[in-house]
Amino acid sequence: MHGRVKVKSTAQQEEEKRKEREKKLKAFVSARDAVLRKRSAGEHDEEALQLTQQLLSSNPDFATLWNYRREVLLQLETSREKDEVQKLYESELHFIEACLKVNPKSYGCWHHRSWVNTRLPQPDWTRELGLCDRCLSLDERNFHCWDYRRVVVKESGVSVEQELQFTDRLIGSNFSNYSSWHYRSTLLPQLHPQPIHSHRVCEEQLLKDQLLVCVCGRSELSVEKSSVLQAELQSCNQLLELEPQNKWCLLTIILLMRALDPLGHEKETLAHFQTLKEVDPMRSSYYSDLCSKFLIENTILKMEYAEVRVFSLSNKNLTTLCHLDQLLLVTHINLSSNQLLRLPPQFAMLQCLEVLEADDNAIESLEGLYHLPKLEEVSLRNNQICKLSDLESLASCTKLTRLDLRGNPVHKTANIDSELSQLLPLVTALSL
Amino acid sequence: SLSLLAESDDNNFILQGTQVKDVIIKPDAPNTLLLDKHADYIAAYGSKKDDYEYTLSEYLRMSGIYWGLTVMDLMGQLSRMNREEIIEFIKSCQHDCGGISASIGHDPHLLYTLSAVQILSLYDSINVIDVEKVVDYVKGLQQEDGSFAGDKWGEIDTRFSFCAVATLALLGKLDEINMDKAVEFVLSCMNFDGGFGCRPDSESHAGQIYCCTGFLSITGQLHKVNADLLGWWLCERQLPSGGLNGRPEKLPDVCYSWWVLASLKIIGRIHWIDKAKLRSFILACQDEETGGFADRPGDMVDPFHTLFGVAGLSLLGDEQIKPVNPVFCMPEDVLQRVGLQPDLLS
Repeated sequence: MHGRVKVKSTAQQEEEKRKEREKKLKAFVSARDAVLRKRSAGEHDEEALQLTQQLLSSNPDFATLWNYRREVLLQLETSREKDEVQKLYESELHFIEACLKVNPKSYGCWHHRSWVNTRLPQPDWTRELGLCDRCLSLDERNFHCWDYRRVVVKESGVSVEQELQFTDRLIGSNFSNYSSWHYRSTLLPQLHPQPIHSHRVCEEQLLKDQLLVCVCGRSELSVEKSSVLQAELQSCNQLLELEPQNKWCLLTIILLMRALDPLGHEKETLAHFQTLKEVDPMRSSYYSDLCSKFLIENTILKMEYAEVRVFSLSNKNLTTLCHLDQLLLVTHINLSSNQLLRLPPQFAMLQCLEVLEADDNAIESLEGLYHLPKLEEVSLRNNQICKLSDLESLASCTKLTRLDLRGNPVHKTANIDSELSQLLPLVTALSL
Repeated sequence: SLSLLAESDDNNFILQGTQVKDVIIKPDAPNTLLLDKHADYIAAYGSKKDDYEYTLSEYLRMSGIYWGLTVMDLMGQLSRMNREEIIEFIKSCQHDCGGISASIGHDPHLLYTLSAVQILSLYDSINVIDVEKVVDYVKGLQQEDGSFAGDKWGEIDTRFSFCAVATLALLGKLDEINMDKAVEFVLSCMNFDGGFGCRPDSESHAGQIYCCTGFLSITGQLHKVNADLLGWWLCERQLPSGGLNGRPEKLPDVCYSWWVLASLKIIGRIHWIDKAKLRSFILACQDEETGGFADRPGDMVDPFHTLFGVAGLSLLGDEQIKPVNPVFCMPEDVLQRVGLQPDLLS
């Protein structure tokens, strides 16, 4: 189904192709019918092995045939001595390997091989590891083979160090080596066990996770030590001078700076985000959201240092809000002149909030503005509030007295003044 | 070693200086949506019963029918398909153990059990099969560690975790399995990059990510996903051509317009993709002559890629196509009828 090129051909070529396929189809149908007839008749013999072998070699995804084959093999086991069973299944491994040469990505083939190893009186894990080595040298990204390798390694007791060396060799010689990096990410924790993280996602860990993905493919990096991070930052900056449009370099620098000193590097970070959006425009929404997140984090840090309860992030190109759970004590919020589309449900956590300014955004939804017991004043000038129903949640904010909705499409609604005074009777200062 | 610039005329692959595998979209590639041609293609598909590809794909026939019917329903053309014949076919594919096979004479499997239940949901005819036995079959495949085998032969894969819960959700029987263990297993397949693989320690892959985020949506556990990290990995699937690949350094493929896009929708990050460029890529995968979509521009079409091309366009907001549910890959109106509205992250 994948990678079949549509090739134009002459009428004669078409006819020849058609005849060829008709022939192949007849052969397939007759073999298939013979096999399924045999199976219905309950026959579990050598002929069944031959017929399924013929079909599976070129149709390894025909899963029912592997099932039938297993039934036959299990049946044959019962009438054979241990050494004959060994030979039977070794021959089966030979057959599977031939199938894998044609179709190295067939789920059915790989699973059958795993199954055979559970039936073999004496599995040969060295041979199996050799098969994996050969298969991965042909296609380093074959995840079936990597998964099979993990089983072989576990059964045969190959050490973590040996496998790390194996990945070293592959990474050194292959451009497309993400599979090896992934494998390393599972091996290293076995050498250096990490403390178990609670399910609550921790920001520091998120940063390190992303850094790890960024730098894999360029260097072995321990993201734990700040001296290492500093050295990495230096070399990335050098690389950036040579390749100012290298997006991986830019993103890695941003993440390294955050890990080392988020407030100190704020200006540089914003400049790099701007460059990133120019260099990788397809992902500019992502970079805007990530930048917004970092700005919010910085503002929270500054707030904590100064012990104030005013959160101000106006005119910062904010496209998203996050970490609202860290603003539980805030009394005043200014989000004016940004690119926000909504005040998300998490806004409802801001139980101390008294004043909200969010003018000049593109806010359509106020879902999060409900049950805020201290909220007195809301300014939402020049947004995208369109319908009366968009304002319903405000009715649950019982201390709300001042509301500025100028410059919103909702003012065009019929009888908007009376509708609003019905919906929000406690609001005494309403601007439309 | 790779040459810095290599171009092949027939396949239009390109290896740039930075060695990015991608395709080049020709200027004359289709750029409008040819919905009628696709409907004609699907309507005619199963009728040539002596077709080579058709016969050789018998081992997945139930899924093939699901792909065809779903795309027709999304295009508002479901009535052109043979409902009675298909329902009878499904009935004759349910085995004594309760499981359903891809076709007559084939063995039952979770993959085809799900496809069958999806088809019957489209047709609002769930009760033509023995629902209790289907539930027994699915339950019986859950392992001690919470994982699901695909069938009695024991292959474990997170795809089957998704098949199990999606099947039970459509039947309203989610409470019949060990949910905590099932969730524990899927979470144990989460990787350093925020993605998911087939089994614990397997590499992240967009298809598996779709299955796992879909699973976590159905089981109400999406808060366990690292949405920012996974969303970033997913939006990095978009290549210069606008198409999406399934994992790093692979070619784009229209089916990833579904697996990646639906995953992004489920975790609330669909806006991190360049929608216009993706739409152009998907449209370029159409075949103006035959109808249908291929995996990439210029290749042969098939119903699988046709569904995922159309479903991807629906997720991108095309108003000529019915809204599609990102978890089940079925029309939203069908799920509303069934009463299923799985949570998505915002």
